[in-house]
Parts: sequence; C-alpha cells; structure tokens
Amino acid sequence: MSKTIFYKQHLDNNAKMVDFAGWNMPISYPLGIIKEANVVRNSSGLFDVSHMGRVEIRGNGAENFINKILPINIKAFKIGSAKYTLLINEKNEILDDLIIYRFVDYFLLIINASNTIEDINWMQSVIDKDVEINDITSKTGMLAIQGPEAIKVFNSISNNDIKGLGRYKFKNISIENNVVFVARTGYTGEDGVEIIFKLEFASKIWELLINNNVTPCGLGARDLLRIEAGLHLYGHEIKKESNPIEIGLKRLLESNSSNYINNDYIHSENIKNGLLTMTGLLVTDRGIPREGNEIIYNDLIIGKVTSGTHSSTLKSSIAIGMIKKDFNIINNTVRIKVRDKFLNATITKLPFYKRSKK
Amino acid sequence: MSELPKNLKYSKDHEWVNIQDNIATIGITLHAAESLGDIVYIEVSSLNKELKQFDKFGEIESVKAVSDLFIPVSGKVVQVNEELESNPEYVNDDCYEKGWIIKVEITNLEDLTTLLDSSEYKKII
Repeated sequence: MSKTIFYKQHLDNNAKMVDFAGWNMPISYPLGIIKEANVVRNSSGLFDVSHMGRVEIRGNGAENFINKILPINIKAFKIGSAKYTLLINEKNEILDDLIIYRFVDYFLLIINASNTIEDINWMQSVIDKDVEINDITSKTGMLAIQGPEAIKVFNSISNNDIKGLGRYKFKNISIENNVVFVARTGYTGEDGVEIIFKLEFASKIWELLINNNVTPCGLGARDLLRIEAGLHLYGHEIKKESNPIEIGLKRLLESNSSNYINNDYIHSENIKNGLLTMTGLLVTDRGIPREGNEIIYNDLIIGKVTSGTHSSTLKSSIAIGMIKKDFNIINNTVRIKVRDKFLNATITKLPFYKRSKK
Repeated sequence: MSELPKNLKYSKDHEWVNIQDNIATIGITLHAAESLGDIVYIEVSSLNKELKQFDKFGEIESVKAVSDLFIPVSGKVVQVNEELESNPEYVNDDCYEKGWIIKVEITNLEDLTTLLDSSEYKKII
C-alpha cells in the first residue's frame, strides 16, 4: 500500500488508517468524523490529499491536446484559472472527474487516486507529438485547508500573498523560500485552498498550519462534507457508463470544438434524452441509506442511492440518488429500502448545504 | 489502549455485561465503539421481549457502518437506555457508564460461564 508524505503525521495524531484506492489514509482522527466535519463548517480543517493524482501536460502541443481530450471551451479558459471537468474516452465512457489548472505554458490536472493509472494510460494512448505527460504525484505533497477561517489562516502564514485570489483561481507563492501552488478550490462546500509543494517542505507546512489551529480531518469527514455540499464522487455519482446530463453535469459540456474527440456525443440527442436524474433525499426516519439501496415511490422502484451519510449540519440522514426523472418532484415522500426496513425520505434539491457568502 | 473495567464480563462480539443480582446491564466495549466511529443511531428490542443468548437484540449504526447487537446472556428486556435516542454519542464518549444500551433479567445463569473476563477479552482485541 502507498503512503503519503504525511504518513508519520497521521500516526502521530492517532489517526484511524484505512486502505483507500491503494493508499494508506486517515479515515478519521480521535476527534471523530462528525466533530471533524463541524470544525470545517465552523473554523478550518486540514486534509491530506496527497494521494490524488497530479499530472502535468506540457509541450508545444499541450493546448491542442487538452482541447482534444476535455469538453472545456479552451478559448475562454484563462491563465491562472481552474476548471472542474470530465475525462471521457472515445467510447463515451467517463474515466474521471478532475480539476484542470492553466499555467502560462502548461496545464496541471488533479485526478482521482483510484483512476490515476487508467487516466494516464488512456491519455498516453491518444497522445500527440509535442505533448509530454508528467506524473508529479510522488514528487509533491498536497493539502486542502477548508472552512470559513481557512483563507484568513492561510493569509497569516503566507504574508497575505493570496489576498484577492478569486474562487477557482490559483497562483504560485513563496513561503519560507519554498514555492507553493495555491488554488482557491475545495471539495467540502466551504471556502478554502488546496496547495501543492515539494516533498521537502511537507512537514514544515503541516506544522505551520497545525500551529495556526487548523485541525486535521480525515477522509470520513471529507465524504460527509461533500455529500452535504451535493458534490459528486467518482465511483458513486459518476460511473464509467454515466450520462453526464443525467448526473447534473451538463454545464461541463462546454466545448464546441470539432477537434474534441467526443464533440458528436456531447451534442447528440441521445445524451439529452436521458431517463434519470440525480437528486437529494432528506431522510425523516432513523437510519442511514447506503449505496445501492432502492428508492421506492408507491411500490415502484424509481432509483437507487449512490451515497448516504448522517449530516451533522442538518441533524438527519441524507442521501444522493439517481431516480427516474419523472419522479423528481421536490418535497415528495419516497421510501428507501435499507437492509430489511424502509425509511421515509423527502426528495430535496441539491445541495443540502450551501455556505453563506460574505 | 485504555484499561478494561475488571468488574465486567465480556462477549466475543464486543459487548460488556455488568451483573447485579439477576439483572444484566449490557453495552458495547470501547474497542467496538472506536472501531465503529461516530455512532448516530441505536435500535434495540422492545421491553419484555425474551431473548436467548446471542440472539440479535438490535442494531448500532455509525456514519460509516452498521452492526448487529447480540445479547450476551439469555433474558427478558426490562429497560432500554432511552437517553441514547437523542444522545447516541454517549456510546462513543462513555461506553461503560452513560452509554449502556439495555438491561435484561437473566433467565439462564449458566450463560455467564461462557463469557470472558477482562484479561481474556483483552487477548482477543
């Protein structure tokens, strides 16, 4: 099993470690999933996300290559910006969801740990000349600092160098003579940053953040927070065979370029006539729906749960599910079959939680 | 690993039993609570239900997982900890005291001989 550069810090903090996509990662610290999630909603939490794949696309052909493999509008994609997008292969299968960052003369992709190898293999299989794919995952560390206090804390350790940095923007700054990539992105529904740095700076930046009262949080809290925020997780809401429109990601299909390998697919009638839709389920009984549980309306199975958890913010259980779109009527009551019992739930618009903007 | 209370008996399913006269108070051990993580729901059998040793008497659900609860001694349910309905975190925070789950009137004293003492239980965790 792979270990991140922060393995020692996790053990020192008595984390409960689990195997996640081949990585030995902290699911929670002694504080526990719920309290860790609350810290992120109320102050700031620190997540080791060094397991996520970090891949650079470089070379003179990089822009054309990105235009070929991603459904983004490359002409409107500015240097210093980030974009959430989908990697779809020529068989119309979704290989991953990812964030792409545009630098002056290259691109950085941050991809799911579970898909890193397959993503790179596929990109290599359609590579152009003058394009280079560099996997920098093992040469760098990555942390996410998330919560209403995150920007303030990060400014205090970085000489206010990210002052004015907008959402989905990034820049390279220097902290104690180390180059740190800082992006105002995240996966919790809170404000915050995700940062990348050389391995030799890892223990120092961890220490700096901990000393500024940022609380280590595990993957359990991260999953709870992303479900509350209605964010997709590959393997759950996004599967290889998913129709991007059914899973609510139509906005990502912005390319109009005939050079995009799936140009025909993303503009086809077929994709627009999906039968399912992604929806929120607010559980009014006691119990947590789990992936695969059937969603029932008047004795009719209308869909299945893709993710479920207990929301500490809403003080009830919540789930995300894929249901037949004709049944997606907000405030309707459905039943979810959880093991041998049925839980009542209310169809709810996603997200369950939206942060208040200052 | 914190110390296991020596006055309790333990089952291989990670329940503890506190026996006073013919009443057994039952909960889950710290080891079980820690491996489940944050507990959010506990559901147990209703009052007066007669249970045979190792029958399922309820379910305990954490953010990450759900587990069946098995009764370590045969008995009739005489009390359930109703506090846990609104404060399930008691099981994580104080599993041997405020986090007790159910009380039964023991119907077969011989069941007690099959339980482990604290040093025997320590060996299996």
